[in-house]
Amino acid sequence: MAEIVLKNVCKRWGSFIGVDDFDLTIADQEFLVLLGPSGCGKTTTMRMIAGLETPTSGDILIDGERVNDLEPKDRDISMVFQSYGLYPNMNVYENIRFPLKVRKVPAAEHDERVKKAAAMVELEPFMHRKPAALSGGQRQRVALARAIVREPNVFLMDEPLSNLDAKLRVSTRAQIKNLSHELKVTTIYVTHDQIEAMTLADRVVVMSKGIVQQVGTPTDIYDNPANTFVASFIGSPAMNLVDGTMSGGTFTCEGMSISGFSAPDGKVTLGFRAEDAQVVDTGGELNARVYSMELLGDATMVTVRCGGALVSVKAGKEYRSNIGDDVSITVPSSICHLFDAESGERLTG
Amino acid sequence: MSTAAHRRPLPLQIALWVFIAVWFMMAAFPFFWTLWGSFKVELDFFSIADWTNALTGANTQSTYGSPFTTAGYEGAFIQNEFWRNSINTFIVCFCVVTVSLTIGTLGGYALSRSGYKYVFWLLIIALMFRALPQITLVSGYLPIFFDWNIWGYLPTAILVLVAINQPFTLWMLHSFFESIPKDLDEAAKVDGCTQFQAFRFVIIPVMWPGVITTGLFSFLLAYNDFVVTALILNEGNRTMVPQIAAFLGTTYTEGNVMFAVAAVVSATAPLFILVMFFQRQIVSGLTAGAVKG
Repeated sequence: MAEIVLKNVCKRWGSFIGVDDFDLTIADQEFLVLLGPSGCGKTTTMRMIAGLETPTSGDILIDGERVNDLEPKDRDISMVFQSYGLYPNMNVYENIRFPLKVRKVPAAEHDERVKKAAAMVELEPFMHRKPAALSGGQRQRVALARAIVREPNVFLMDEPLSNLDAKLRVSTRAQIKNLSHELKVTTIYVTHDQIEAMTLADRVVVMSKGIVQQVGTPTDIYDNPANTFVASFIGSPAMNLVDGTMSGGTFTCEGMSISGFSAPDGKVTLGFRAEDAQVVDTGGELNARVYSMELLGDATMVTVRCGGALVSVKAGKEYRSNIGDDVSITVPSSICHLFDAESGERLTG
Repeated sequence: MSTAAHRRPLPLQIALWVFIAVWFMMAAFPFFWTLWGSFKVELDFFSIADWTNALTGANTQSTYGSPFTTAGYEGAFIQNEFWRNSINTFIVCFCVVTVSLTIGTLGGYALSRSGYKYVFWLLIIALMFRALPQITLVSGYLPIFFDWNIWGYLPTAILVLVAINQPFTLWMLHSFFESIPKDLDEAAKVDGCTQFQAFRFVIIPVMWPGVITTGLFSFLLAYNDFVVTALILNEGNRTMVPQIAAFLGTTYTEGNVMFAVAAVVSATAPLFILVMFFQRQIVSGLTAGAVKG
């Protein structure tokens, strides 16, 4: 059992705000992902939970107990570092065993627990190697094994996959998901990769410049982004965002006119996802020239210039056209998201 | 790549060997000359009549019936009890290295892990004290040592040598610690260590090359020091270096200067052995900094 509560947690360095007013309850056994670009405060938030940074104000509670003043070692957490943080002078076995040794777990249990943890991440053949003699993926798994060997209440993972190559990242991602499910531990996972966030998370916290932008399930965040920042950060490709004017229920901008909205008049930002719009022969809401065309294998990405922005639309895998050809795209109002042009906040539900 | 690509032209090869030979002679010759001469009598080694006497040992032959004699060593070690000075040197070196490294590792670690700006200024101040001529520090200490009646004793010399040496050890160890990623400390702390345990179990084992290198430099400072030991120690407590100087100062009696020569050889030999023994650690400590994390 470990429920983590963050109450108005702030971290400042002088006048620089690292994390501003972070307020969240993380349920027991939840897999929470902190997502955002570099410098958004996601790692700082995690480090405050770990006890490696002290919050400037606010409280952090683990299982109802205020842990602000506790040392990292007294918080019953374990952490996987981006750089792995393996002890270079110890072999794999000693690395995994270290937390047990330091925490004075009875020596008789060590061997069994180390072997069990190593088996979970398939490290048995490398037990006697030093970290320097391991590949990136293997080091990564040593770090994971060292984190799980103690069976802590909370796992913290700081961009654990960012130093791995693309293929290994996918398989390790699956391994992490499986581990967290099997061990039934509350997990907080920091990443700047939205695909990792979507695939792993029970809930995602999107952050920018130290401020929480949106908290929700991956579907929630994908389907109903709270503002233009979330809309432009989540999804591959990100949501198309076009500035234009709303007048009498009709959105207009250069090259596009969509009617059927029930929004007040004024300047707005309109967003829609590449896979929701469709390329048609004629009669679509958006008419423009093809700016570029990319073959993705399972689909073809058509990009056009519209309202001063580049807009991408997914067409069928057989679709072909040339740069400069006229193209028509249907963008019904039902697939559109409206955002305030000034603040970027969502306008419709 | 073929080995031919690495082969140098013959003239260059010869020039390199000549250069190395000349350089080796210049560096090593004085020591070997002294070593050779230490087994002769003064009239041979410092012969005015014929310098080849130093090589052949004509006067040594006529005095002792053999071209080699251990008279210099006997005079130094038995007659003048140079072994006492050796023991003093050992005590001073041991204490200076131990105290310097203890303070240096703890202080260097703290400074390297502290996020405050004053760290930089502390290190700059330390560097300034290191840059001062040692004699200025010692002459400042002397009146106080006389006042407190602690002049002349080994602990006093150790204290001063540590004070002189500490800024250097702090600097050196600080930069070694800087090269060890902070992630290691943090991983250790999350794994259940206190800050000190992280230092003891995780950081220090990675730091050995740095500690050994710094320790050796501290040792050399204490071992070779003349200014501090000559001014602070009384006759009975002298270490080797001031004692050698004292032998040289009594050249009115024939043969005393040979005590100095024998003592010089005795003082130099341990250094050779030490440096050879630790050469790998010194090189890795000076170049690599520390193990990658």
